[in-house]
Amino acid sequence: MNTRSGWFTFLLFLLLLAMILLQVLSMVQSDRLYERLNFLLETISSRQMPASKAEPNLTAQSAQKYPGDEGDWLVWDLSGEVRTLNLLNVDATLDTRYIVSGTIIEPLFEQDLDADKEKLKPKLAEKMDISEDGLEITIKLKDNIYFSDGVPVTADDIIFTFETMMNPKIDCADLRNYFDNITGAVKLDNRRVKFVMKERYWKTISMIGSFYVFPRHTYQFNDPNEFNKRISNPIGSGPYVFEKWDVGQQIVLRRNENYWDKKPNIKKIVFKFISNATAALQALRSHDTDMFEPGSEQVTDMPKDPQFSKEFRTIIFWDPSFGYWYIGWNEQRAFFKDRRVRQAMTCLTDRKAMVEQLTRGKGAVVTGTFYIYGRQNDPNIQPWPYDPQKAAQLLDEAGWKDTDGDGIRDKDGIPFRFKYSYVAGNISAEQMARLLKDDAAKVGIEVIPNPTEWSIFIGNVNARDFDVVELMWGGVIEEDPYQIFHSSQIQGRGNNYVSFNNRQADELMERARRELDEEKRYALYHQFHRILHEEQPYTFLMTRPRYYFIDKRFENVIVHKLGIDLFEWYVPKEKQRYK
Amino acid sequence: MTTYIIRRILLMIPTILGITIMVFAISRVAPGDPVSLSMGPGGQLDAQRAADVRKARMALYGLDKPIHVQYAIWLKRVVQLDFGDSIKHHRPVIDLIAERLPVTITLNVISIIIIYIISIPLGIFSAVRQGRFSDKVSSVILFMLWSLPSMWAGQMLIGYFCGPTFKNWFPPAGLSSNFADALPFFPWLGDRLWHLTLPVICLSYSGFAYLTKQVRAGMLDNLRCDYIRTARAKGLDNWTVIFRHAFRNSLLPIITIMGTLLPAMIGGSVIIESIFSIPGMGRLAFEAITTRDYNVVMAVATTAGFLDLIGLLLADIAYAIADPRISFERIE
Repeated sequence: MNTRSGWFTFLLFLLLLAMILLQVLSMVQSDRLYERLNFLLETISSRQMPASKAEPNLTAQSAQKYPGDEGDWLVWDLSGEVRTLNLLNVDATLDTRYIVSGTIIEPLFEQDLDADKEKLKPKLAEKMDISEDGLEITIKLKDNIYFSDGVPVTADDIIFTFETMMNPKIDCADLRNYFDNITGAVKLDNRRVKFVMKERYWKTISMIGSFYVFPRHTYQFNDPNEFNKRISNPIGSGPYVFEKWDVGQQIVLRRNENYWDKKPNIKKIVFKFISNATAALQALRSHDTDMFEPGSEQVTDMPKDPQFSKEFRTIIFWDPSFGYWYIGWNEQRAFFKDRRVRQAMTCLTDRKAMVEQLTRGKGAVVTGTFYIYGRQNDPNIQPWPYDPQKAAQLLDEAGWKDTDGDGIRDKDGIPFRFKYSYVAGNISAEQMARLLKDDAAKVGIEVIPNPTEWSIFIGNVNARDFDVVELMWGGVIEEDPYQIFHSSQIQGRGNNYVSFNNRQADELMERARRELDEEKRYALYHQFHRILHEEQPYTFLMTRPRYYFIDKRFENVIVHKLGIDLFEWYVPKEKQRYK
Repeated sequence: MTTYIIRRILLMIPTILGITIMVFAISRVAPGDPVSLSMGPGGQLDAQRAADVRKARMALYGLDKPIHVQYAIWLKRVVQLDFGDSIKHHRPVIDLIAERLPVTITLNVISIIIIYIISIPLGIFSAVRQGRFSDKVSSVILFMLWSLPSMWAGQMLIGYFCGPTFKNWFPPAGLSSNFADALPFFPWLGDRLWHLTLPVICLSYSGFAYLTKQVRAGMLDNLRCDYIRTARAKGLDNWTVIFRHAFRNSLLPIITIMGTLLPAMIGGSVIIESIFSIPGMGRLAFEAITTRDYNVVMAVATTAGFLDLIGLLLADIAYAIADPRISFERIE
């Protein structure tokens, strides 16, 4: 061949190289452009507004409700996109609540984040009066409270929200269930509403307390489906208003400049949806996002990097909503009818090892269904030990022995072999399955791990068509275990799908429901907790704290006992990133 | 030609019908349904109430009827270009697709252009230097790229080029920066392209090998032909021989590939869009399948099937235009 073709190829590659170089350069250029732009905006705004004084001293700070400088945005990365922003919908999740509740739509009362029990602080309501017999609750609203469009919040709005929720055509059956006990809401005057209950039930009182108030004038509907379809554009009385929802990308809230109470400092909250964990961490590290909930592994490893811990705060707290992991033994199966077998299974489950491996030692073993740092939980109950020998002994006692010499225990001709179902793709569940399989094999029980896709998994659980499931319950600070463990919930699609049936437990739960005195109620729940511990309808595995990485430019980030309050945060003027 | 095109378009109707019947049947036969999914065990309900709610919701979405009736209803609506509402998003499916299709198309068109820009010269180059060291090196590299799974490559690119761990050059997720709204058009466009760079790289690198090999094979076939020898014998220089004679004639297979590349890439963008958190058709389809959002699954399948068929038709027409030897008219 000749030189011409050689030149041609050379030029071609040169062209390619140049293209790539140009691409890189343009990127660097755009980076610089942003910097300059930001700098420009900053100088302009700093000229307009007088620079804030240097750090105010601490006593002055605590005197104010929300101390610190105004401005800046908070970019919070929620890993998945929410399905709805309508709180009165089956699809509303914890993330929906993070976005909407307290920020856009406010409740009557809010939970005190520093308490160890359910303690309500007035928000829209001024006070709550409970009648002697506990069957009537009167709520009085505060004066001078307004929705973001300037319309005052009145008793009519409470009545509207209540009636909407109780409307059987509104797609919020799960929530309605909690208000089942209320026969009606009566408007006494513009500021007062009376709720009437069928029977005494402590949970109803707390549900009324955390009741959200929707503005009637914007949510009114003729066809309930109008309300069901309204998944976006929430309007309420909160310190933030909805700005936009870029589907698949972000939801933006802007501060409500007409807020009736003290305004928080942060001007915008952006919720991003980055589902890829690697990308989420990288987005945080390159300051595209400010806040992100890492896994146990990341929270153990990342703060070791000095650069990282210089730029980001790591926050750890025991969030009741986190709930706990458990293994549910289907008592309709021959193996798990006997309490001793269930105890044996618990003794075979090395929960401490799970805490070590799956949460890097940050979690804790649980012994029952209650929030471990709450008052319902009895802290004196010690978890069953990890003790395969004891397990073998219990199995022998229950009559499960290896009679045919195949290495697997059996009874009445049924070999002790079961399917362990968990949600496919859940890595920690898979690891737990492996741990249990190994331990069970040592005492002659065969565990067959059975990863199942979520939609099928749910179907099987509801149809009670499973041997063993590994799952997790979300929690609240004080919960009513009736839905999960009362024998009336075995039928149909109730949540007692392991078919736990214990008369004494039933009675305790029924009595506790009617008990309005906290201390007496806690005592009843402690007794119930003890029964759960002896009966082991579940093998209660573990829980872990919630973690967040938060950009260090945010100040006054207080970690309360039960959580964090974004409204307390601020960014000092000189560190603000967004205008 | 016109009669041929009309005939092809008419033939598309039964094909599309077939596709929809298949997808409809598969999606309904698959276990699980959108109603029980969103009612999971977290929604604490008593048994009777739960059954009622379930029934009401099934009726609301028309899922209580037999499958063939559901299909007939669906078909009737689709003929009027109404794909129904998404069960998950409570919004018309057509809106969801209208929001996301442009993103996916942008991503894929840019990728295809890049694939062609890189592969054609590379194919010509390796054909001309057939058997030499540079040809071998380029084939080895291309095959290596071809066999790299894009989800792995995507994770690696995010890990190394999107944060302070190695180089902080690109954004790890999304389509635009937080402050993009405040930007004028050109910086905004730059921001958008900056976000698209890595996804486009991931979508395109594996295409290089395939197309380059096709170009190379086509070129080699032609370079061996008599007319090339004639051209050389005429004393034409190498450049003219390669580009005016050999290259033009080896364009044909490349055009055919164009027709199949687009559908393949829409499939590939399911993964890329999930990795880079890009709100496109791929991610929509993936989420719809996992949540059994039937209307969305059907609409995405129909749209993708339609795009495929159009792509193939366009390829055939381009064939006729590029090569006068090919004609769709019946020979009298």
